[in-house]
Amino acid sequence: MSARRFALIALLITALAAHAEPKLTEVEYSSTLKAVRPAPGEDKFDQVPWLTSLWEARKQAAKEGKPILLWEMDGHPLGCG
Amino acid sequence: MAKEDFVPVTGDDWYQRRRQDAEGEFFRKVASQGPRKGEGGSTRQGIYVLSGDGELLSYKNAGQFAEVTRDELKRGLERFLKLPASRREPRAVEVGEPGKLDPTYSRTPPAGGLIVRVHARILDRTGDEFCKGACKTTGGDAAARDFLWLTKEEVRSLAPAKTDVGFTYEMPKPVAERMMRFHLIDNTRGEPPFWERQHIRRSKLALTVVRSTAEAIDLRLEGDVLLSTDADPAKSDRGYEARLRGELRYVPSKQTFDRFDVAAVGEHWGEGTFTRGSRPGRSLLGVAFGPVAGDRAADRVPPQGAREVRRYFGRE
Repeated sequence: MSARRFALIALLITALAAHAEPKLTEVEYSSTLKAVRPAPGEDKFDQVPWLTSLWEARKQAAKEGKPILLWEMDGHPLGCG
Repeated sequence: MAKEDFVPVTGDDWYQRRRQDAEGEFFRKVASQGPRKGEGGSTRQGIYVLSGDGELLSYKNAGQFAEVTRDELKRGLERFLKLPASRREPRAVEVGEPGKLDPTYSRTPPAGGLIVRVHARILDRTGDEFCKGACKTTGGDAAARDFLWLTKEEVRSLAPAKTDVGFTYEMPKPVAERMMRFHLIDNTRGEPPFWERQHIRRSKLALTVVRSTAEAIDLRLEGDVLLSTDADPAKSDRGYEARLRGELRYVPSKQTFDRFDVAAVGEHWGEGTFTRGSRPGRSLLGVAFGPVAGDRAADRVPPQGAREVRRYFGRE
């Protein structure tokens, strides 16, 4: 291989390496999961035993003698915080 | 109060106000007693307290204000307790079966597939770590929730063809595409716009076997993506450039994953029609996949993107 060709290949490899995104470190990865996910006790919604069928809720409400709490939202009902 | 005094149920109004079956008719009958009459197919979203035989007892659409919502629940409960015994005592009201469900507006998780929790939150950086971000929009700094659904076939396609440590393979395209288009999104302030296929400008997602026993195969996911509404991100009005890393565990005896922890973090810019109030310019957004969801009824809430079910599963 000529010196010139070698230099061109080395330059190409360097350019590609410079363009490559650095990988997430272990600290970045674990801190992201911790920061994004609700902390213990933060997600009050998740502590409620939601049903997802209004008809099943009717049946349970009739059986237990309770009113129904229907949380009805546009989009994922438990979606945005 | 919600757990003790009520039967709590949740639903996406997009389905409920449209479905043509007994459940939809019942819902619309109740909703029409309140302010959301649904003229022209308009939204009926809100927090309802109702009796099992269909009387609306209270209504409010203020879920982000806990005290207001709590007062409304109390009002609804008081009205329920004033109903005649024949309408509120256990087993006083009979509720039959709903009959055939409207298939167009009902969703069930794929049989034998996987349900994975997904959260998204705006972030900031402190030193080497990422932390929760701050937002002026009420609730905009909270964790948004969704679920990822994978079919049985997609779960099996995620499993490595070889179990040798170091074996690396690309994440199957259908799975990668669904994660990017429908879950690497900013849903922290409302219903998000999704990505079209052509918005995927860069996608490098690879899985590597890091540990292998007869009982389980541990995998590491690494990669990065660029999603933007214009081929030139500098010209795009919305985009997300993120790095991903994850730890998954495949259990051969069950042919499924019992661990699916994936983090995506990077700069997001722009907003959608229902997600106004984003931080200016580019700012950090994190998305966390996992854990694998369990058997609770609430874990079966369909993904936001599953409204367009054919698109969600890559069939158009």
